[in-house]
Amino acid sequence: MKLIVCLDDKNGMLFNHRRQSRDQNVTADILAMTAGSRLYINAYSAPLFEGQAVTVAEDMLSLANEEDYCFVENLHVAEYADRIKEVILYKWNRRYPGDFFFDLDITDPRQWQLSSAVKFAGNSHETITKERYIYADKN
Amino acid sequence: MQTRIKKLLVLLLSLCLLFSGCAGIEATKNTAEEPAVTKSESTAPKTDPTEFANETPAESASKAPATFSPDQIPAYADDPFIALHNNEPYFDIADYAAKSFETYSELDELGRCGTVMACVGKDLMPTEKRGNISSVKPSGWHSVQYDFVDGGSLYNRCHLIGYQLSGENANERNLITGTRSMNTEGMLPFENMVADYVKETGNHVLYRVTPVFQGNDLVARGVVMEAKSMEDNGDGVCFCVFAYNNEPGVTIDYATGASTLSSASAATTTQKQTTTQKQTTTQNQTTTKKQTTTQKQTTTKKTVLTGTGSYILNTNTKKFHNPSCSSVKQMNESNKWEYSGSREEIIGMGYDPCKRCNP
Repeated sequence: MKLIVCLDDKNGMLFNHRRQSRDQNVTADILAMTAGSRLYINAYSAPLFEGQAVTVAEDMLSLANEEDYCFVENLHVAEYADRIKEVILYKWNRRYPGDFFFDLDITDPRQWQLSSAVKFAGNSHETITKERYIYADKN
Repeated sequence: MQTRIKKLLVLLLSLCLLFSGCAGIEATKNTAEEPAVTKSESTAPKTDPTEFANETPAESASKAPATFSPDQIPAYADDPFIALHNNEPYFDIADYAAKSFETYSELDELGRCGTVMACVGKDLMPTEKRGNISSVKPSGWHSVQYDFVDGGSLYNRCHLIGYQLSGENANERNLITGTRSMNTEGMLPFENMVADYVKETGNHVLYRVTPVFQGNDLVARGVVMEAKSMEDNGDGVCFCVFAYNNEPGVTIDYATGASTLSSASAATTTQKQTTTQKQTTTQNQTTTKKQTTTQKQTTTKKTVLTGTGSYILNTNTKKFHNPSCSSVKQMNESNKWEYSGSREEIIGMGYDPCKRCNP
């Protein structure tokens, strides 16, 4: 599966059961990127994608096949690591309070290669960085 | 004689204009098209905080303790902040309308700030860069530097309601003596969260910050920060936390603001007491400049990928360019994306190469 996650400077995702931040330009970019593919979300993320062609499933990380995208806001993903072949990070370039963090280690370049990085202006964020990591196990 | 009278009249006229101008700024901050923001001043309600210690958020939601005792706060344990009251503010948003306002307590007899409260909306947020606030000397203020503290200065003039939320500059009722750590690690992340939420949604966030003093201390032990988004009943933003006014490696005498190196730090670091404001400013400027340069270098390094190129994408025309292409200068900033990756990837995203620079 291809994982999509939004992170702050400390790899945070949530604080007090709420997303750290949101930006309509990120949502639009996700929809553009996943057009023609299946995009899984869970019920928590549904308000961000109202009226859009997405698949809502609480067990998306088990259901998604290799080419499907999963937008994850409030789930730990490390236990599904062997099913994840691509990670798309949207970085807020901001520091928010966090108590729930991204738990997949993609820092080992022997396993995860940064394929592309793009910076763009958000609706409410000065600069958002989108990074795409491809799984490339060279061990 | 006539010249002297003339000068006196000019001075009087200037003073009249100055004070009438200031009063105008105090009362309204907005343009005529926007609804005026209510701005009032209040003294902190003298509520005994201990009466809320054992209550659940639901039971005490409508009550609003505006003073907290340090005895209520768990001891510092490395984290810059800690959740209180199950992260539920003590105030009840039902008691307020979703309309921007800001209130600041009068300074007490020791010159200390009290509770500040705001309903943060887009119309309250600043439209200009922050001004100079160095004229304010909050209670317990010392200009002191440690070489291991981020930026050098132990203390910052800490906005209770962050500048990015209310646009308040040198308001003595909104600035306390706060450590660098409390300012940037404890408070700033929450201010960022509120500011970005308001900017993104256009909603309002009820926001309150209460400095917590022990007895007659001049420096607060920390601040209680409470916030809840109004239009969605807290779905977007909801927290109640205490941010510690600590600095790792430094022992603070909260009664006066004096500080010393902690025994563990003393062996490895040096302390620089700055005696003049001028020196402090110069040093801060140098540090900031250094940090900016380092940060820029890091960012650039991060986005350059081995075996790939850097391109500028125009999200409007769906063309991509070399960074040096003359078309880039004419590009609208909001349509400009800096991209580091392969040419094939960009074409795969639906972009065509510019015919002028042929990337």
